[in-house]
Amino acid sequence: MFKIITLMLVVSNIQAAQSIVVKTPDMEVDFTPRTANQMGSFYEARGFPKAMRDVLKKQCFITVGIHNKSNTKIWLDMSNWKFTAGGEPIVREHRDYWKQRWQNMGMPLSKQSTFRWTLIPETLDYLPDEHEGGNILLPFSDKPISITATFATGENKQGETIVITTDKLFCAEDVEEDAE
Amino acid sequence: MKLKQTFTLLVFVLSSFLSLSLSASNSQVPFGIRHYDIGSAQNFTLSDIDGEKYELNNSKGNWVFLHFWASWCGPCRVEMPGIQQLADKMKGEKFQIIMINTAEDEDTVFEFLGSINVELNSLLDIDGQVTEVWKPRGLPTSFLINPKGKVKYQAIGGREWGDPIYINFIKKLLKSDA
Repeated sequence: MFKIITLMLVVSNIQAAQSIVVKTPDMEVDFTPRTANQMGSFYEARGFPKAMRDVLKKQCFITVGIHNKSNTKIWLDMSNWKFTAGGEPIVREHRDYWKQRWQNMGMPLSKQSTFRWTLIPETLDYLPDEHEGGNILLPFSDKPISITATFATGENKQGETIVITTDKLFCAEDVEEDAE
Repeated sequence: MKLKQTFTLLVFVLSSFLSLSLSASNSQVPFGIRHYDIGSAQNFTLSDIDGEKYELNNSKGNWVFLHFWASWCGPCRVEMPGIQQLADKMKGEKFQIIMINTAEDEDTVFEFLGSINVELNSLLDIDGQVTEVWKPRGLPTSFLINPKGKVKYQAIGGREWGDPIYINFIKKLLKSDA
């Protein structure tokens, strides 16, 4: 009986950690949580040192894709994004934080560079039909994650503001082999 | 009678002007490419997979298609055959395709380029520092640099460079002094 319940919990968590797509008439934003193993494999295949991978394995990775479907510019500014876990605010570290952390650990420049390319840009003006994205790293939590993302629009950011919200995300966890 | 001739001439001149304007607007920047006048291209020197050194400033006098990519980037892989087609179509022109791999080692790049069956060479930005200076929007990103060494255009994401729309656009650039 206990095993069945365990399986149900695992399945429930897998489903919750699946992609979520938020659509508005002007843009589409998709959020895909990644497990530690998924990210660990990606970075290991790129020759990342174990010390780096060990740090990254402890993070909650969410891959974000942003598609501008409007006829005007949409401005990404990560400082306008708010995150909570279980209703409590959580902090997404700026890419400068990671740069400093890798430098302090003496990690190779090439790996620092590749790592930065896997992150979502801090700011970007999305042109009509442009589709770019990257990873967001949050502190790992087993509580539901909510994201509120605010985007300016228009050539000079004077258009209507778009706010995207989702509160159905979970950090993805690897399924244990013996969960049967 | 003279007035009629003058009017006819005027109509001819105006229609020619209109025709030229329409032609110019038709040759405007294709989808996915934007004007990007940021001034002089930042010079760099890198080695390619054969160990040959290349310096960007030595390409002055040619249009340069500067392309940043990585093997782990899906759209980069999709875009490569189109870049090969572009290279084939532009052979003999004052046009150079300069590819820069971002922060991967020689073996990875060599193996990748072989696996997708292209004859393109690539420079190796092994520590990623040239890419840091150029700050592409994402990978892949391409820049078009004019013969005077000024950055003029930026391509957003992967494009089908073998498509006549892009090839014709680049051919027109070569004829212009943009």
